[in-house]
Amino acid sequence: MEKVRVMVVDDSKISRMMISSMLAKTNFEVCAMAENAAAAIDLYAKTRPDVVTMDMNLPDADGVECSRRIHAIDSNCRIVMISAMKDAKLIMHGRLAGISSFLQKPISTNELLDTLMILCQDKVGINTVYRDSYVTTYAKAFADGLSQIGGLESEIEIQEEDVGALNLDGVAVIIGIVGEPRGRVAFYMDTETMLKFASRILQEDTVSEFEAQAAVEETGNIIAGHGISRINDVIKDREMRLTPPGIISGVNIKLSNPDLIAFNIKAKTELGNIFMNVGFARSV
Amino acid sequence: MDVKLVNPFIDAFTTVLPQMGFPTPERTGMGVQDKHINSRGVAVLVGFTKEIRGNVVYNMDEETAKFIASTMMMGMPVADFDEMAQSAISEMSNMLTATAATNLASLGREVDISTPSLTVGAGAGIRISGGQFLTVTMDMGGHIVEIDIAVE
Repeated sequence: MEKVRVMVVDDSKISRMMISSMLAKTNFEVCAMAENAAAAIDLYAKTRPDVVTMDMNLPDADGVECSRRIHAIDSNCRIVMISAMKDAKLIMHGRLAGISSFLQKPISTNELLDTLMILCQDKVGINTVYRDSYVTTYAKAFADGLSQIGGLESEIEIQEEDVGALNLDGVAVIIGIVGEPRGRVAFYMDTETMLKFASRILQEDTVSEFEAQAAVEETGNIIAGHGISRINDVIKDREMRLTPPGIISGVNIKLSNPDLIAFNIKAKTELGNIFMNVGFARSV
Repeated sequence: MDVKLVNPFIDAFTTVLPQMGFPTPERTGMGVQDKHINSRGVAVLVGFTKEIRGNVVYNMDEETAKFIASTMMMGMPVADFDEMAQSAISEMSNMLTATAATNLASLGREVDISTPSLTVGAGAGIRISGGQFLTVTMDMGGHIVEIDIAVE
Protein backbone atom coordinates (compact mmCIF):
# COMPACT_ATOMS: atom_id res chain seq x y z
CA MET A 1 0.00 0.00 0.00
CA GLU A 2 1.11 3.51 -0.78
CA LYS A 3 2.58 5.38 2.20
CA VAL A 4 0.69 8.39 3.50
CA ARG A 5 3.05 11.35 4.01
CA VAL A 6 2.79 13.46 7.12
CA MET A 7 4.34 16.80 8.03
CA VAL A 8 4.73 17.43 11.77
CA VAL A 9 4.68 21.07 12.92
CA ASP A 10 5.60 21.60 16.57
CA ASP A 11 8.03 23.92 18.33
CA SER A 12 8.98 21.25 20.85
CA LYS A 13 11.53 18.69 19.79
CA ILE A 14 10.08 16.17 22.26
CA SER A 15 6.59 16.55 20.79
CA ARG A 16 7.92 16.08 17.26
CA MET A 17 9.78 12.98 18.36
CA MET A 18 6.71 11.58 20.12
CA ILE A 19 4.50 12.00 17.06
CA SER A 20 7.18 10.47 14.81
CA SER A 21 7.50 7.46 17.07
CA MET A 22 3.72 6.96 17.15
CA LEU A 23 3.75 6.84 13.35
CA ALA A 24 6.73 4.50 13.11
CA LYS A 25 5.79 1.02 11.82
CA THR A 26 2.50 2.33 10.42
CA ASN A 27 1.44 3.21 6.94
CA PHE A 28 2.19 6.85 7.70
CA GLU A 29 5.64 8.31 7.15
CA VAL A 30 6.92 11.62 8.39
CA CYS A 31 8.16 13.46 5.30
CA ALA A 32 8.87 16.80 6.96
CA MET A 33 9.17 18.39 10.38
CA ALA A 34 8.97 22.10 11.13
CA GLU A 35 9.56 23.98 14.37
CA ASN A 36 8.00 27.28 13.32
CA ALA A 37 5.37 28.65 10.95
CA ALA A 38 7.80 30.00 8.36
CA ALA A 39 9.52 26.62 8.01
CA ALA A 40 6.14 24.85 7.92
CA ILE A 41 4.85 26.96 5.04
CA ASP A 42 8.10 26.59 3.12
CA LEU A 43 8.26 22.81 3.69
CA TYR A 44 4.58 22.35 2.82
CA ALA A 45 5.13 23.95 -0.58
CA LYS A 46 8.25 21.84 -1.19
CA THR A 47 7.09 18.43 0.06
CA ARG A 48 3.28 18.58 -0.42
CA PRO A 49 2.44 16.18 2.42
CA ASP A 50 -0.91 14.32 2.47
CA VAL A 51 -1.67 15.55 5.97
CA VAL A 52 -0.23 17.97 8.56
CA THR A 53 -0.22 17.77 12.36
CA MET A 54 -0.19 21.32 13.73
CA ASP A 55 0.74 22.58 17.17
CA MET A 56 -0.98 25.74 18.44
CA ASN A 57 2.07 27.45 19.95
CA LEU A 58 4.72 28.36 17.42
CA PRO A 59 7.36 31.03 17.97
CA ASP A 60 6.55 33.17 14.94
CA ALA A 61 2.75 32.75 14.48
CA ASP A 62 0.08 30.59 16.07
CA GLY A 63 -1.06 27.26 14.62
CA VAL A 64 -4.30 28.73 13.31
CA GLU A 65 -2.46 31.45 11.38
CA CYS A 66 0.06 28.93 10.07
CA SER A 67 -2.83 26.70 8.92
CA ARG A 68 -4.48 29.64 7.19
CA ARG A 69 -1.31 30.28 5.19
CA ILE A 70 -0.96 26.61 4.26
CA HIS A 71 -4.59 26.60 3.22
CA ALA A 72 -3.87 29.57 0.96
CA ILE A 73 -1.21 27.47 -0.84
CA ASP A 74 -3.40 24.37 -1.06
CA SER A 75 -7.14 24.58 -0.40
CA ASN A 76 -7.30 20.77 -0.25
CA CYS A 77 -4.77 20.49 2.58
CA ARG A 78 -5.65 18.27 5.52
CA ILE A 79 -4.59 19.63 8.89
CA VAL A 80 -5.05 18.14 12.36
CA MET A 81 -4.52 20.55 15.22
CA ILE A 82 -2.86 19.01 18.27
CA SER A 83 -2.95 21.49 21.12
CA ALA A 84 -2.91 21.66 24.90
CA MET A 85 -6.12 23.71 24.86
CA LYS A 86 -9.21 22.82 22.90
CA ASP A 87 -12.30 24.96 23.19
CA ALA A 88 -15.19 26.12 21.02
CA LYS A 89 -13.47 29.36 20.06
CA LEU A 90 -10.32 27.59 18.90
CA ILE A 91 -12.38 25.08 16.92
CA MET A 92 -14.37 27.85 15.26
CA HIS A 93 -11.29 29.88 14.29
CA GLY A 94 -9.47 26.70 13.32
CA ARG A 95 -12.25 25.54 11.01
CA LEU A 96 -12.25 28.89 9.25
CA ALA A 97 -8.50 28.50 8.76
CA GLY A 98 -8.99 25.10 7.12
CA ILE A 99 -8.24 22.74 10.03
CA SER A 100 -10.20 19.49 9.73
CA SER A 101 -9.75 17.87 13.15
CA PHE A 102 -8.74 18.88 16.64
CA LEU A 103 -6.95 16.73 19.22
CA GLN A 104 -5.98 17.66 22.73
CA LYS A 105 -2.60 16.83 24.26
CA PRO A 106 -1.69 14.33 25.52
CA ILE A 107 -2.80 12.25 22.56
CA SER A 108 -2.79 8.48 22.37
CA THR A 109 -1.35 6.59 19.44
CA ASN A 110 -4.81 5.22 18.61
CA GLU A 111 -6.40 8.60 18.64
CA LEU A 112 -3.75 10.00 16.31
CA LEU A 113 -3.87 7.05 13.91
CA ASP A 114 -7.69 6.99 13.82
CA THR A 115 -7.82 10.68 13.06
CA LEU A 116 -5.17 10.55 10.34
CA MET A 117 -6.69 7.45 8.82
CA ILE A 118 -10.18 8.92 8.58
CA LEU A 119 -8.82 12.18 7.16
CA CYS A 120 -6.78 10.30 4.57
CA GLN A 121 -9.29 7.61 3.72
CA ASP A 122 -8.93 8.24 0.00
CA LYS A 123 -5.25 7.26 0.31
CA VAL A 124 -5.54 4.48 2.86
CA GLY A 125 -8.45 2.64 1.22
CA ILE A 126 -11.98 2.53 2.48
CA ASN A 127 -11.92 -1.04 3.82
CA THR A 128 -8.88 -0.28 5.95
CA VAL A 129 -10.52 2.84 7.32
CA TYR A 130 -13.72 0.97 8.15
CA ARG A 131 -11.83 -1.84 9.87
CA ASP A 132 -9.07 0.07 11.64
CA SER A 133 -11.05 3.10 12.71
CA TYR A 134 -14.78 2.64 12.73
CA VAL A 135 -14.94 -1.06 13.55
CA THR A 136 -12.23 -1.09 16.22
CA THR A 137 -13.91 1.94 17.78
CA TYR A 138 -17.18 0.01 17.82
CA ALA A 139 -15.43 -3.02 19.29
CA LYS A 140 -14.20 -0.89 22.21
CA ALA A 141 -17.65 0.58 22.78
CA PHE A 142 -19.05 -2.96 22.61
CA ALA A 143 -16.68 -4.33 25.28
CA ASP A 144 -17.16 -1.26 27.51
CA GLY A 145 -20.95 -1.43 27.13
CA LEU A 146 -21.13 -5.12 28.05
CA SER A 147 -18.97 -4.44 31.06
CA GLN A 148 -20.87 -1.35 32.24
CA ILE A 149 -24.40 -2.56 31.54
CA GLY A 150 -24.08 -6.26 32.30
CA GLY A 151 -20.90 -6.41 34.37
CA LEU A 152 -19.65 -8.81 31.71
CA GLU A 153 -16.01 -9.35 30.90
CA SER A 154 -15.60 -10.29 27.29
CA GLU A 155 -12.97 -11.51 24.91
CA ILE A 156 -13.40 -9.50 21.74
CA GLU A 157 -12.56 -10.82 18.31
CA ILE A 158 -13.02 -8.83 15.12
CA GLN A 159 -13.76 -11.29 12.38
CA GLU A 160 -12.54 -10.42 8.93
CA GLU A 161 -14.80 -8.66 6.53
CA ASP A 162 -17.79 -10.90 6.24
CA VAL A 163 -19.81 -10.82 3.06
CA GLY A 164 -22.05 -13.77 3.81
CA ALA A 165 -25.43 -13.64 5.51
CA LEU A 166 -25.60 -13.76 9.31
CA ASN A 167 -27.51 -16.71 10.72
CA LEU A 168 -29.88 -15.74 13.46
CA ASP A 169 -31.42 -18.09 16.02
CA GLY A 170 -32.52 -15.63 18.61
CA VAL A 171 -32.76 -11.89 18.54
CA ALA A 172 -31.13 -9.08 16.59
CA VAL A 173 -31.41 -5.37 17.18
CA ILE A 174 -30.90 -3.47 13.93
CA ILE A 175 -29.96 0.19 14.14
CA GLY A 176 -29.42 2.22 11.00
CA ILE A 177 -26.56 4.69 10.59
CA VAL A 178 -27.17 7.85 8.61
CA GLY A 179 -24.71 10.51 7.59
CA GLU A 180 -21.49 9.70 5.84
CA PRO A 181 -20.96 6.77 5.53
CA ARG A 182 -24.41 5.21 5.78
CA GLY A 183 -24.75 1.77 7.26
CA ARG A 184 -26.25 -0.24 10.03
CA VAL A 185 -25.35 -2.01 13.25
CA ALA A 186 -26.80 -5.42 14.12
CA PHE A 187 -26.47 -6.47 17.77
CA TYR A 188 -27.46 -10.12 18.10
CA MET A 189 -27.32 -13.28 20.20
CA ASP A 190 -29.11 -16.61 20.51
CA THR A 191 -32.24 -17.02 22.65
CA GLU A 192 -30.50 -18.79 25.53
CA THR A 193 -27.84 -16.09 25.80
CA MET A 194 -30.52 -13.41 25.50
CA LEU A 195 -32.48 -14.82 28.46
CA LYS A 196 -29.34 -15.12 30.61
CA PHE A 197 -28.19 -11.67 29.60
CA ALA A 198 -31.56 -10.07 30.38
CA SER A 199 -31.82 -11.90 33.69
CA ARG A 200 -28.38 -10.54 34.58
CA ILE A 201 -29.06 -6.92 33.74
CA LEU A 202 -32.63 -6.86 35.09
CA GLN A 203 -31.47 -8.77 38.18
CA GLU A 204 -34.44 -11.13 37.95
CA ASP A 205 -34.27 -14.92 38.04
CA THR A 206 -36.80 -15.34 35.28
CA VAL A 207 -37.65 -12.90 32.54
CA SER A 208 -40.20 -13.19 29.76
CA GLU A 209 -39.02 -13.30 26.18
CA PHE A 210 -40.59 -9.88 25.61
CA GLU A 211 -38.69 -8.33 28.54
CA ALA A 212 -35.51 -10.01 27.41
CA GLN A 213 -35.87 -8.58 23.91
CA ALA A 214 -36.48 -5.13 25.37
CA ALA A 215 -33.33 -5.45 27.49
CA VAL A 216 -31.28 -6.48 24.47
CA GLU A 217 -32.81 -3.65 22.45
CA GLU A 218 -31.86 -1.07 25.07
CA THR A 219 -28.33 -2.46 25.40
CA GLY A 220 -27.82 -2.51 21.64
CA ASN A 221 -29.09 1.02 21.37
CA ILE A 222 -26.74 2.29 24.09
CA ILE A 223 -23.68 0.54 22.65
CA ALA A 224 -24.44 1.71 19.12
CA GLY A 225 -24.87 5.25 20.44
CA HIS A 226 -21.54 5.17 22.25
CA GLY A 227 -19.77 3.76 19.22
CA ILE A 228 -21.08 6.47 16.95
CA SER A 229 -20.30 9.23 19.49
CA ARG A 230 -16.69 8.07 19.64
CA ILE A 231 -16.43 8.15 15.85
CA ASN A 232 -18.07 11.60 15.77
CA ASP A 233 -15.53 12.78 18.36
CA VAL A 234 -12.72 11.95 15.97
CA ILE A 235 -14.27 13.24 12.82
CA LYS A 236 -16.29 16.34 13.43
CA ASP A 237 -17.39 17.45 10.01
CA ARG A 238 -19.62 14.56 8.98
CA GLU A 239 -21.80 13.85 11.93
CA MET A 240 -23.20 10.32 11.87
CA ARG A 241 -26.52 9.60 13.58
CA LEU A 242 -28.62 6.54 14.39
CA THR A 243 -32.15 5.58 13.44
CA PRO A 244 -34.52 3.98 16.00
CA PRO A 245 -33.90 0.27 16.60
CA GLY A 246 -35.84 -2.50 14.90
CA ILE A 247 -35.92 -5.93 16.56
CA ILE A 248 -35.87 -9.15 14.60
CA SER A 249 -36.44 -12.49 16.30
CA GLY A 250 -36.87 -16.05 15.14
CA VAL A 251 -35.08 -19.23 14.31
CA ASN A 252 -33.12 -19.99 11.19
CA ILE A 253 -33.39 -16.42 9.94
CA LYS A 254 -30.78 -14.95 7.64
CA LEU A 255 -29.74 -11.36 7.92
CA SER A 256 -28.34 -10.52 4.55
CA ASN A 257 -26.71 -7.32 3.43
CA PRO A 258 -25.31 -7.85 -0.02
CA ASP A 259 -24.44 -4.19 -0.49
CA LEU A 260 -22.56 -3.59 2.73
CA ILE A 261 -18.92 -3.87 3.68
CA ALA A 262 -19.59 -5.58 7.00
CA PHE A 263 -17.43 -6.69 9.91
CA ASN A 264 -18.45 -9.07 12.63
CA ILE A 265 -17.35 -8.43 16.20
CA LYS A 266 -17.70 -11.41 18.52
CA ALA A 267 -17.71 -11.02 22.31
CA LYS A 268 -17.09 -14.28 24.14
CA THR A 269 -18.70 -13.94 27.55
CA GLU A 270 -19.56 -16.28 30.42
CA LEU A 271 -23.21 -16.13 29.28
CA GLY A 272 -22.47 -17.08 25.67
CA ASN A 273 -21.37 -15.33 22.52
CA ILE A 274 -22.74 -11.89 21.81
CA PHE A 275 -22.23 -10.33 18.38
CA MET A 276 -22.17 -6.95 16.84
CA ASN A 277 -22.06 -6.65 13.08
CA VAL A 278 -21.16 -3.24 11.71
CA GLY A 279 -21.69 -2.60 8.02
CA PHE A 280 -21.23 0.39 5.77
CA ALA A 281 -22.54 1.07 2.29
CA ARG A 282 -20.18 0.13 -0.52
CA SER A 283 -21.18 3.19 -2.45
CA VAL A 284 -21.73 6.47 -0.69
CA MET B 1 -49.08 8.37 14.98
CA ASP B 2 -49.74 10.93 12.26
CA VAL B 3 -51.28 9.22 9.22
CA LYS B 4 -50.27 12.16 7.02
CA LEU B 5 -46.66 11.05 7.37
CA VAL B 6 -47.51 7.70 5.83
CA ASN B 7 -48.72 9.01 2.49
CA PRO B 8 -45.19 9.89 1.31
CA PHE B 9 -44.28 6.18 1.60
CA ILE B 10 -47.39 5.01 -0.26
CA ASP B 11 -46.90 7.67 -2.95
CA ALA B 12 -43.27 6.56 -3.38
CA PHE B 13 -44.43 2.99 -3.93
CA THR B 14 -47.13 3.88 -6.47
CA THR B 15 -44.95 6.28 -8.47
CA VAL B 16 -41.54 4.57 -8.49
CA LEU B 17 -42.51 0.99 -9.31
CA PRO B 18 -44.50 1.63 -12.53
CA GLN B 19 -41.49 3.63 -13.81
CA MET B 20 -39.46 0.46 -13.41
CA GLY B 21 -41.87 -1.62 -15.45
CA PHE B 22 -44.04 -3.04 -12.67
CA PRO B 23 -47.84 -3.31 -12.87
CA THR B 24 -49.50 -0.29 -11.21
CA PRO B 25 -49.75 -1.10 -7.50
CA GLU B 26 -53.13 -0.85 -5.86
CA ARG B 27 -53.71 -0.31 -2.19
CA THR B 28 -55.89 -3.14 -0.94
CA GLY B 29 -55.69 -2.66 2.79
CA MET B 30 -54.59 -0.35 5.55
CA GLY B 31 -54.71 -0.75 9.30
CA VAL B 32 -53.11 0.12 12.60
CA GLN B 33 -51.20 -2.55 14.50
CA ASP B 34 -49.43 -2.62 17.81
CA LYS B 35 -47.65 -5.98 17.92
CA HIS B 36 -44.81 -7.28 15.86
CA ILE B 37 -44.78 -7.87 12.13
CA ASN B 38 -44.65 -11.46 10.93
CA SER B 39 -42.25 -11.75 8.05
CA ARG B 40 -43.81 -13.20 4.92
CA GLY B 41 -40.40 -14.59 3.99
CA VAL B 42 -38.42 -11.56 2.88
CA ALA B 43 -38.55 -8.37 4.93
CA VAL B 44 -36.44 -5.29 4.43
CA LEU B 45 -35.99 -2.80 7.26
CA VAL B 46 -34.95 0.79 6.56
CA GLY B 47 -34.53 3.33 9.35
CA PHE B 48 -34.82 7.09 9.09
CA THR B 49 -34.03 10.00 11.36
CA LYS B 50 -33.65 13.81 11.49
CA GLU B 51 -36.88 15.78 11.77
CA ILE B 52 -38.89 12.61 12.23
CA ARG B 53 -37.55 9.25 13.36
CA GLY B 54 -38.83 5.81 12.56
CA ASN B 55 -38.60 2.63 10.54
CA VAL B 56 -40.23 1.22 7.44
CA VAL B 57 -40.44 -2.46 6.53
CA TYR B 58 -41.18 -3.87 3.07
CA ASN B 59 -42.56 -7.34 3.71
CA MET B 60 -43.22 -9.91 0.97
CA ASP B 61 -43.02 -13.61 0.28
CA GLU B 62 -40.09 -15.12 -1.57
CA GLU B 63 -42.04 -15.57 -4.82
CA THR B 64 -42.87 -11.86 -4.88
CA ALA B 65 -39.28 -11.00 -4.02
CA LYS B 66 -38.10 -13.11 -6.98
CA PHE B 67 -40.71 -11.50 -9.26
CA ILE B 68 -39.50 -8.03 -8.20
CA ALA B 69 -35.83 -8.97 -8.63
CA SER B 70 -36.52 -10.45 -12.06
CA THR B 71 -38.46 -7.37 -13.22
CA MET B 72 -35.66 -5.12 -11.95
CA MET B 73 -33.12 -7.19 -13.86
CA MET B 74 -34.97 -6.68 -17.16
CA GLY B 75 -36.92 -9.91 -16.96
CA MET B 76 -33.94 -12.15 -16.29
CA PRO B 77 -35.29 -15.38 -14.77
CA VAL B 78 -34.64 -15.63 -11.01
CA ALA B 79 -34.84 -19.24 -9.84
CA ASP B 80 -33.26 -18.81 -6.42
CA PHE B 81 -33.40 -15.86 -4.12
CA ASP B 82 -29.64 -15.53 -4.34
CA GLU B 83 -27.27 -12.68 -3.57
CA MET B 84 -28.00 -10.91 -6.86
CA ALA B 85 -31.75 -11.06 -6.22
CA GLN B 86 -31.24 -9.93 -2.62
CA SER B 87 -29.20 -7.01 -3.87
CA ALA B 88 -32.06 -6.04 -6.22
CA ILE B 89 -34.59 -6.09 -3.37
CA SER B 90 -32.23 -4.01 -1.20
CA GLU B 91 -31.85 -1.52 -4.00
CA MET B 92 -35.61 -1.29 -4.53
CA SER B 93 -36.14 -0.67 -0.80
CA ASN B 94 -33.45 1.99 -0.89
CA MET B 95 -35.06 3.73 -3.88
CA LEU B 96 -38.55 3.61 -2.41
CA THR B 97 -37.42 5.00 0.94
CA ALA B 98 -35.24 7.68 -0.69
CA THR B 99 -38.26 8.78 -2.74
CA ALA B 100 -40.40 8.77 0.41
CA ALA B 101 -37.71 10.95 2.04
CA THR B 102 -37.95 13.41 -0.87
CA ASN B 103 -41.76 13.41 -0.51
CA LEU B 104 -41.42 14.05 3.23
CA ALA B 105 -39.02 16.93 2.55
CA SER B 106 -41.67 18.57 0.36
CA LEU B 107 -43.96 18.46 3.43
CA GLY B 108 -41.22 20.28 5.34
CA ARG B 109 -40.01 17.15 7.17
CA GLU B 110 -36.44 16.30 6.27
CA VAL B 111 -35.17 12.79 6.96
CA ASP B 112 -31.96 10.85 6.32
CA ILE B 113 -32.28 7.14 5.63
CA SER B 114 -30.09 4.20 6.66
CA THR B 115 -28.98 1.35 4.42
CA PRO B 116 -31.57 -1.44 4.03
CA SER B 117 -31.31 -4.57 6.22
CA LEU B 118 -32.65 -7.70 4.56
CA THR B 119 -34.16 -10.54 6.59
CA VAL B 120 -34.74 -13.86 4.86
CA GLY B 121 -36.77 -16.64 6.48
CA ALA B 122 -40.47 -17.05 7.10
CA GLY B 123 -41.44 -16.86 10.73
CA ALA B 124 -39.22 -13.96 11.70
CA GLY B 125 -40.91 -11.52 14.02
CA ILE B 126 -40.03 -7.85 13.51
CA ARG B 127 -40.78 -5.11 15.98
CA ILE B 128 -40.38 -1.53 14.77
CA SER B 129 -42.21 0.39 17.43
CA GLY B 130 -43.00 0.28 21.11
CA GLY B 131 -46.44 1.60 20.23
CA GLN B 132 -48.59 1.54 17.14
CA PHE B 133 -47.55 1.30 13.56
CA LEU B 134 -49.39 1.38 10.27
CA THR B 135 -49.63 -1.45 7.78
CA VAL B 136 -50.52 -0.83 4.15
CA THR B 137 -51.07 -3.72 1.75
CA MET B 138 -50.17 -3.14 -1.88
CA ASP B 139 -51.09 -5.48 -4.72
CA MET B 140 -48.99 -5.50 -7.90
CA GLY B 141 -50.67 -7.80 -10.38
CA GLY B 142 -51.33 -10.43 -7.71
CA HIS B 143 -48.03 -9.92 -5.90
CA ILE B 144 -48.53 -8.58 -2.39
CA VAL B 145 -46.09 -6.23 -0.66
CA GLU B 146 -46.93 -5.11 2.84
CA ILE B 147 -45.47 -1.76 3.95
CA ASP B 148 -45.19 -1.23 7.70
CA ILE B 149 -44.39 2.25 8.91
CA ALA B 150 -43.59 3.38 12.44
CA VAL B 151 -42.88 6.98 13.33
CA GLU B 152 -41.73 7.92 16.82
